[in-house]
Amino acid sequence: MIQLNRWVSPAYVCLPLAIISIVITFNLIQSTLPDLSYRSFNFSVGLSTSEATTMSKAVIQFSVLPRIAIALLVGAALGLAGVLMQQVLRNPIASPTTLGVASGAQLGLLLATLFAPGLLAFGSEWVALAGGAISLLLVLSLSWHRGLAPVAVVLAGLVVNLYIGALSTVLILFHQEDFRGLMIWAAGSLAQNSWSDTLHLLPRLVIAVILAGLIARPLSLLELDESGARSLGISVRKLRLVGLGLSVFITASAVSLVGIVGFVGLAAPVIVKLMGARSLAQRLLWAPVFGGLLLLTTDLFLLQYSAQLPSMVPTGAMTGLLGAPLLLWLIPRLALKGSAPNTSTMPFQLTSKPNPRMFAWLLALLLISSIVALFVTRSAAGWVLTDTGQWEAIANWRLPRVLAAAGAGILLALAGATIQRMTANPMASPEVLGISSGTAVGLILTIYFSSNITVPLLIVSGATSAFITLGVLIFLNRRTGFQSERLLLTGIAIAALFEPLRSIFLANGDPRIQQVVAWMSGSTYYVDFSSGLSAFLLAVVMVSLTPLVARWLDLLPLGRNVALGLGLSVDKVRLVLLVLVAILTALATLIVGPLSFAGLLAPHAARMLGFSKALPHLVGSAIVGALLMISADWLGRQVLFPQEIPAGLIASLLGGSYFIWGLRRY
Amino acid sequence: MVRPFVILFFLALMSLSVEAATSGTSQQVGDYPRVATVDWTLVETLMSLGVVPVAAAQIKDYQAWVAEPALPESVVDIGLRGQPNRELAASLNLDLILISPLFSAIEPTLSQIAPVQTLTTYNPENDFWQNLVDTTRQVGKLTNRSAEAEAVIERHRLRISHLKENIAVDTPSLLVVQFIDDRHVRAYGKGSLYDMVINRLGLQNAWKGQTNMWGYTTVGIEKLTTQGYLVVVDPIPMSAEGVFEDNKLWQALPAVRSDRVLSMPAVWSFGALPSAVRFAEELYQALSEQRAIESDSSTL
Repeated sequence: MIQLNRWVSPAYVCLPLAIISIVITFNLIQSTLPDLSYRSFNFSVGLSTSEATTMSKAVIQFSVLPRIAIALLVGAALGLAGVLMQQVLRNPIASPTTLGVASGAQLGLLLATLFAPGLLAFGSEWVALAGGAISLLLVLSLSWHRGLAPVAVVLAGLVVNLYIGALSTVLILFHQEDFRGLMIWAAGSLAQNSWSDTLHLLPRLVIAVILAGLIARPLSLLELDESGARSLGISVRKLRLVGLGLSVFITASAVSLVGIVGFVGLAAPVIVKLMGARSLAQRLLWAPVFGGLLLLTTDLFLLQYSAQLPSMVPTGAMTGLLGAPLLLWLIPRLALKGSAPNTSTMPFQLTSKPNPRMFAWLLALLLISSIVALFVTRSAAGWVLTDTGQWEAIANWRLPRVLAAAGAGILLALAGATIQRMTANPMASPEVLGISSGTAVGLILTIYFSSNITVPLLIVSGATSAFITLGVLIFLNRRTGFQSERLLLTGIAIAALFEPLRSIFLANGDPRIQQVVAWMSGSTYYVDFSSGLSAFLLAVVMVSLTPLVARWLDLLPLGRNVALGLGLSVDKVRLVLLVLVAILTALATLIVGPLSFAGLLAPHAARMLGFSKALPHLVGSAIVGALLMISADWLGRQVLFPQEIPAGLIASLLGGSYFIWGLRRY
Repeated sequence: MVRPFVILFFLALMSLSVEAATSGTSQQVGDYPRVATVDWTLVETLMSLGVVPVAAAQIKDYQAWVAEPALPESVVDIGLRGQPNRELAASLNLDLILISPLFSAIEPTLSQIAPVQTLTTYNPENDFWQNLVDTTRQVGKLTNRSAEAEAVIERHRLRISHLKENIAVDTPSLLVVQFIDDRHVRAYGKGSLYDMVINRLGLQNAWKGQTNMWGYTTVGIEKLTTQGYLVVVDPIPMSAEGVFEDNKLWQALPAVRSDRVLSMPAVWSFGALPSAVRFAEELYQALSEQRAIESDSSTL
C-alpha cells in the first residue's frame, strides 16, 4: 500500500526548488527584455531599440530558455542513471560520477577529438558510450571478487577515476593549446546557443524513461534476494545488464552534450529516498524530477551571480564541489551492507614465509634500474651510454631525480602497504584517503591566488593543506573508531573535491596552468640534490622504523575483534597509523604530486611476490615502490625526448595497465 | 646490507661529478651570446633583434600559435615550456637563459645551467607599450644588441603611427575575440596586447568589462552585442567549427546581422613588439577591406 505521505515527501524538496527556479528565471528574463541597454549588456549602449529587442529576444530564445531546458533534462538523465545504478548494484553510493562512467565517457570523447575526429561523425554519444562502458566494466571487474560490495565498487570507481584523470592530464600537458575549447565543455558548462542539444537529449531521455519504466517491476524484485527474483522467472543477469546499459547510455548522452556534471546522479536518488520515495517506482519518478530541479537551481544561481565571480565556474564543476560535502554528510547515514573484512577473502595470510632470495632479486633489480637511470639516456644524437665526461649531467640532473623518485616511491609504498593492511582492503591507497587530493587542492588554490609562486611557498601550503585534510579525516571518523569503510568513504569524498577544482582551473585557460598541470602529474623535475637526498634518506629512515609497527599491521587485517582479542587497542593504533600514513603521503605528494599509484601498486606487487607478513610486506613494498618510480622517472625522460613526461603519470599508466591485467584475480 | 652500499655509491658519484662540473666552457657564436628561452614572447623579441636563440621550448606549438617570426631549423627544441629538458639545455653551452615570471618556479634549477634573467612583460601596473619597449631594450642589452633594440623599437613605433594616420577617425569601436568553443570566446580588454594596439591606432576597444591578469576574460557569445565591429582572431578551434552556420545566438548578434564581423589571421595574443605590429597591420588590412565592402554596398 502506498501511503499518502510517501508520495508527498519528495515534493517537499522539489517544490521549493521549483519556486526558486521560477523566480530567478522570471527575474533573468525581465532583466534581459525591457531595458537591455542598461542592465545586462554594457556594450549594447547605442544599439537601436529594434536591434536591442531582437538581440534580447534571441538571448532569451536561444540561450536562456534552452539552457533551462538542458539543465532540467541533464539533471533528470543523471538522476535516472543514478537510480538505475544504485538499484542494480544495490549500492547507495553508486552514480555516474562515483563509478567512473562519466569520466570514462569524457576521456573517450577527448581521445576521439584529438586522434580520430572521424569517429565523432557517427554520433559523439556512441564514443562516449564506449568510454563509459569500458570504465564501468573495469570498475565492476575490479570489485568483482568482493561481491560488488558497495564500498569496494566505489573504491574501484575512484581508482578508475584517478587513472582516467592521469590519462587526460597527459593529453592536456602535451596538447594544451588544442584543448582550450574542450576544457569548458569538460568542466560541465550548460551554456547553450540553440535548441539543438535539447532536441537531441529529449527523445533519448524519453526512450530511457520508458525502458526504465518497463524494467521497473522486475528490477524492484532485486531488492529481494536473487534466488527469490529468479524463482519469479527473471533472468537476473540480463536484467542487470539492461539496467546498467541503460544508465550508461543516458550518462553518455548527457556527457557528450554538456561534459561532466558532478554528483547530481548521486544526490538526486539518495535525497528523494531520504525524503520518503522508498519504492523503486517512486524513485524512478522523483529522482529525475529532483535531479532536474537541483541542476537547474544551481545553474540559475550561477547565471545570476556569475558576474561577481572572478573566474568562470562551469555548473558541472560547481555541483561537483557542492557534492563533496553532501557525500561527507551522507556517509554516516548510509546503511552499508556487509562487506566487513573477513579473513577468508583476505589475501593477508600469516602463514607463508618471507622469501630472502626474492629480496636479493628485488635489490638487484633496483640497483640495475638506478644504474640505467643514471647512465643511459637519449640525447639529441640518439641513445648514449654516458661516459665519464658527463659526470656533471649525471650529478646535476639525474641523481636528484633518481633519489627523489626512489624516496617518493618508498614513502608511498609504505603508506599504501600500511593503509591496505590497516583497512584490510587491497584497493585502499594513499590517494583513496584523500590526503594527496587535499594537498593538491591546497596547492592549486595557492597557485591561483598568489602572484609570485616559489618552491618554499608551495611546500608550506602543501603541508598545511595535508594536515587540514588529516584533521578532517580524524574529526569525521573519531566516533566510529576509524572503521575502515567509513574512513575510505571520507577519503573518497575529499578526493572528490579535487576534480572540480582542477576543471575550473583548466576551463579558465589560465596561462599558469602549465605549471599546475606539470606538478599535478607528479614530476620530480623541481627537485634539487639536497631535497632529493633528504627525500631518499627520510624514506630509508622510515623503512628502518617499520619493525615498530609490524605487529600492529600483522594483527589488524584479522579484523577488529581478533585484534582486540589479541590485546591490541585497535582505535588508538588506527589513529596512530592514520597519522603516519598522512605524513608519508604528504611528503611524497610534495615531491611527486598527487597522482602516482605507487602506493596502490607496490604493496600489491609485493604481495604477489610472496611477501605477506607485515614486515617483509612493508620492506618489499618499499623496494618495489622505489623500483617503480625510478623506472617511471627514467622512462618519462626518454619516451618523448626532449619533452619530459612526469614520473607520476608514467607510474599511473604502468599501474593502470597492471591493474587491468592483474587485479581480476583478486 | 646492500642499502648502505647503494647510498655510498650515489655519494661517490656525486663527489666525482662536482669536480667535473667546473670543466664546462662556453663559446660565443657571432657577436651575441648563446641564449635560450622557454617563453615565446621572448623568442619573438630575440628574433626581432636578429638574435637566433640556440634553443626554445615547444617549437612545433610556437609555429602554430606565434607563427611569425619563423624559427630557423638550427634552433633546438628543449621540450615543454614549464619543464624544459635541462640535460639537453646544459649540453648546449648556453651563456644566458631568458624566462618570464610565469616560469619563476624553474629559475633556481635553470640557473645551474647558465645565468637566468627574468623579464616581466605582462605588468598590469605599467603602460603596455612601455612594457614591450622595456622588454625589447632589456633583451637588447643582455644580447649586446642595444642599438638594434632602439632601431627595432623606433621602427615598430613608426609603423604603428603610420598606420594610425591612415585609419579613418570615424572607425567604429572594436570588440576583439578569440573563439574557445561554439559558445564561449575570450574577449580582450585592458591589459591585453590587442587592446594596447587598438588604443595606439586611435581606435576604441568596445570591451570595457573586467579582465584577468593577462587582459582577457572568458564570456558567452551572447555578451558580444557590440554596435561597432566584432573582430574574430584565428585560429577557430575544432570545437567551435560550425559556429557560424548553426548558431542561432551568433546569427542574432547585431554585428553579425549587419555584416560587421572582421576576421583576422592568428596573432599570438601574449606577444611582444613584432606581434603588436603584426596585429596592427592585419587589423588595418581587415578594416580597409571592410571599408571597401561597406562603400560598395552603400553606392549600390
